[in-house]
Amino acid sequence: MRPGVLPLAIVAGIALAAILGPLLLPWSYDAIDWSAVRAPPLSPGHLLGTDAVGRDLLARTLAGTRVTLAVAGAAAGVALAIGTLWGMIAGWCGGRIDEAMMRIVDALYALPFMFVVILLMVVFGRSIVLVFAGIGAVEWLTMARVVRGEVLRLRHRPFILAAEAAGAGTSAIMTRHLLPNLAGVAIAYLLLTVPQVVMVESFLSFLGLGVQEPMTSLGILVHDGAEDMDVAAATLLVPGAVLVTLLVALTRAGEALRDRLAP
Amino acid sequence: MIYAVDGLMATIGGQHILSGVSFSLDAGECVALVGASGSGKTTTAFAPFGLLPAMAGGSARLEGEELIGCSGTTLRGLRARAGFVFQQPATALAPHLTIGAQLAEAWRQTGAPRPTHEELVALLAEVGLDEPERLLAAYPHRLSGGQRQRAMIACAIAHRPALLVADEPTSALDAPLRAGIMRLFDRLRQTRGLALLLVSHDLPAVAGHATRALLLDNGHVVEAGDARTVLTYPVSREGRALVTAMPRLDEPLPPRPPIGAPLLEARGVSVDYALPGWRRRRLEAVKDADLRIAEGEAVALVGHSGSGKSTLARAIGRLGPQSGGSVHWRGAALPPRARMRTGHRRLIQPVFQDPAASLDPRWTVAEIVAEPLLRLRPELDARQRAEKVRTLLDEVGLASDFLDRRPATLSGGQAQRVAIARALAPEPELLLLDEATSALDVLIAGRILDLLLRLQRTRRLAMLFVTHDAAAARKLCHRTIAMEAGRIVER
Amino acid sequence: MRAILVRRLMTALPTMAAVILLSFLLMRVAPGGPFDAERPLDPATRAALAHAYGLDRPLIEQLGRYLLGLAQGDFGPSLVYRDFSVGDLVRQGLPVSLTLGGLALAVALPLGIAAGALAAMRPGGWADRVLMLAATIATLLPSFVTGPLLVLAFALLLGWLPVSGWGGGDPRHLLLPVIALALPTAGAIARLARAGLATTLAQDHVRTARARGLSEGRILLRHALRPALVPVASYVGPAAAGLLTGAVVVETVFALPGLGRYFVQGALNRDYPLVLAVVILYAGLILLFNLIADLLYGWLDPRAAG
Repeated sequence: MRPGVLPLAIVAGIALAAILGPLLLPWSYDAIDWSAVRAPPLSPGHLLGTDAVGRDLLARTLAGTRVTLAVAGAAAGVALAIGTLWGMIAGWCGGRIDEAMMRIVDALYALPFMFVVILLMVVFGRSIVLVFAGIGAVEWLTMARVVRGEVLRLRHRPFILAAEAAGAGTSAIMTRHLLPNLAGVAIAYLLLTVPQVVMVESFLSFLGLGVQEPMTSLGILVHDGAEDMDVAAATLLVPGAVLVTLLVALTRAGEALRDRLAP
Repeated sequence: MIYAVDGLMATIGGQHILSGVSFSLDAGECVALVGASGSGKTTTAFAPFGLLPAMAGGSARLEGEELIGCSGTTLRGLRARAGFVFQQPATALAPHLTIGAQLAEAWRQTGAPRPTHEELVALLAEVGLDEPERLLAAYPHRLSGGQRQRAMIACAIAHRPALLVADEPTSALDAPLRAGIMRLFDRLRQTRGLALLLVSHDLPAVAGHATRALLLDNGHVVEAGDARTVLTYPVSREGRALVTAMPRLDEPLPPRPPIGAPLLEARGVSVDYALPGWRRRRLEAVKDADLRIAEGEAVALVGHSGSGKSTLARAIGRLGPQSGGSVHWRGAALPPRARMRTGHRRLIQPVFQDPAASLDPRWTVAEIVAEPLLRLRPELDARQRAEKVRTLLDEVGLASDFLDRRPATLSGGQAQRVAIARALAPEPELLLLDEATSALDVLIAGRILDLLLRLQRTRRLAMLFVTHDAAAARKLCHRTIAMEAGRIVER
Repeated sequence: MRAILVRRLMTALPTMAAVILLSFLLMRVAPGGPFDAERPLDPATRAALAHAYGLDRPLIEQLGRYLLGLAQGDFGPSLVYRDFSVGDLVRQGLPVSLTLGGLALAVALPLGIAAGALAAMRPGGWADRVLMLAATIATLLPSFVTGPLLVLAFALLLGWLPVSGWGGGDPRHLLLPVIALALPTAGAIARLARAGLATTLAQDHVRTARARGLSEGRILLRHALRPALVPVASYVGPAAAGLLTGAVVVETVFALPGLGRYFVQGALNRDYPLVLAVVILYAGLILLFNLIADLLYGWLDPRAAG
């Protein structure tokens, strides 16, 4: 089996379960079953048991995964768009423009960005839109660097010059030669950005600064589980395991893709 | 007898890449291993010493001790008794250690006491390096290419080995530096009685310096004997192919195609670049260059790396920056790079040095060759284009089953043929050959040169041949222009 | 070398100034304030409070006072911890956070480099694969998952170590937080060291060393390790950022009286001066670590020093 296929299948499986699961379960993520508070796993009606107020753990985990993945996907998309554009412009223009643009990236890199995101949360209130916009606005830095590096590597390749000699204009060179050649690497880094975003989102939610109740996310679930772990360990273990599996699988898939495309 | 190889074999991953190679070296002798790339010459030199991931068999004795089949530790000890010089002086020295530290380490590799400062200074003088104080304290990146290779040789002889193994020691250097390195080897053989095992594809250098030569082909010795005789009058088929592929400065010239009316004239072309950094210093790569090319004329532009020859050619072809001067085509000014339209682009087409990098890795051969047709010859419809692509590939000697191949599946020679087909597609009148044969193996380069000679006759193409190979230039071109430090110095 | 430092400082100082200015402005234009909390205050009290904290002055004057205070190490009063100034909280919490981060780095660096070197010795071997999978997982283990898990295992189930608290810097109290904090950094360092070594060991100058008959150990230590650690050095800056960020969570999980925990409390309660101080302080620390990384870089690879 090719490297990266198994991790990708795991990611797809988790995503599918998170999307379809809630439709099939009898309990919604916020429904309280008063008859089964802190039910252990494999209790009747609650496959993974319930939490401290009697909410079904499986339903909550699936719902939390869905929110986490949605935030991550959106933020990674924002990062992809900003980063690719920034990197392509910097790499293609070169000279002072490139220098200035990359200095900005360097400067932003040097910021304690988690603290800046938290600062934004504090200032503008905690909203889910802000969570992903804030994260995406930070995570684009790596993408910009990678894309710029690729553009620099490619733009002085003779095949770009040959295309110019063949009569292709700047836009044709960009869209027909440059973009297709850097798309693979950009997608690989998109895959690698998603776990970073998942991490940031869960981090914020764990601290109570990200996704807010009654919505839930893996970070919130881990937080709640940690409060309750002495009596119901499953409430910590289940969301924690899903989170780590998701992170590892996404990273392995992204790295496998990146390595295969590496020059 | 310092080094004796008898029936040497080598396998990599179970595959035989070398069989039955035998030769011997006495003090002061130089045996050269010659052959196309992949012929096994580097393997012959390195495999007995365990410096390649290859399994060696047969026998190789260094000062009477057997190298093949001994344990790792023993082999390490024996390896330390020989000296090695590698192809790339830029990367063969450790970047984070000073020259002095590396010399000292090399000096002590067979257990000698730490060298004194005077000993190191004398060693540098012996390999022809001045300013020993500065060099000993310097990191390798502070040295020029030639200095690095001399420092590398100093490291290789620091522990007074009897045998020196040199793998293409001059191929990364410019021509004048090469001669200096070869003379240094000659001197070391005389003064130190050093035995030299030389791997090279520089046939004239081998003929001029080596005692004996072994010609390898596909892992077998096809010819062996006195170096000058083997390289001048090869008897085997493989030997003749190799020797004739190399253009020589002493062979008779083929008749030249006739020259027509003036085609291109460059007047006072200069190019300067902004150096990186905010201070905006500028580097003058080409200064005030004049150049004329007539219909059907081939002009060679020769010079060292960094002399500005490629930069000038690209400026003329409107594929690189130009900061001063003008270029005229049949008397009319050629527009600047940004305003070249189809009518002008058609006229001049380039072929670059690195064939793999000059083809878009995501496109098929058919798409690559069709691109200039699509943009520069809009009068053709899709069917005519497809037909034209076939004819072009046929003209450069590629069958039509190459149409759907991607660049990664092509050999260097095949890729360069595709690049030539693409350049021919818009029916240009001038071909810019930017080191078009330099990255290729001797045999392949010879065939590409033959293809260019044929095109020169059948198509009446003018050519600007940028190269550092004077012999190749002589074979193809009507006249030669030399550049040095951005100026045209000789025509 | 000096040129690099000067260039870095030329980026770092404006960055620092921009951080201070922007975060200050953000805080002041923010809708709502710390007094919006539980129950609404009557306008008179609100005005009095605002006056007491200087929030009714023109923005430029507030900024001037703030900068003047910063220069003297005065970050203003904390709005949540009413009896303390932010400076007090920093003086109290920063040593705890730095101890935690410093110990974690001291654990992660040798651990990561050793694991990376071991894996790079035989690329593709079983040790390589196991170590690198472990390193990937470690890199991705969020400390808010490992922290509670460690507590569950070693404190609650086995009862070997205390659940939480600082214990006056008692090593038994520090062990679990430091492990939770060090794991991701160690994993990242291991991966960087492995990649750097694999690249370096395949380079020509290592073949030269091999041709000299040196032992593999000596080749690794003298010829390969230093150039191979360049990527690790450039990770020092991000590592510092990661450790400071991780410390926020670890301090929360283990109830340690570090600056990170004050920061979270401040963020949850809109304690502007506190949040602002921590952001500025940490930005400065991270810039400092980036400078250290540049110095290391020049030593590891003289080519970078120009």
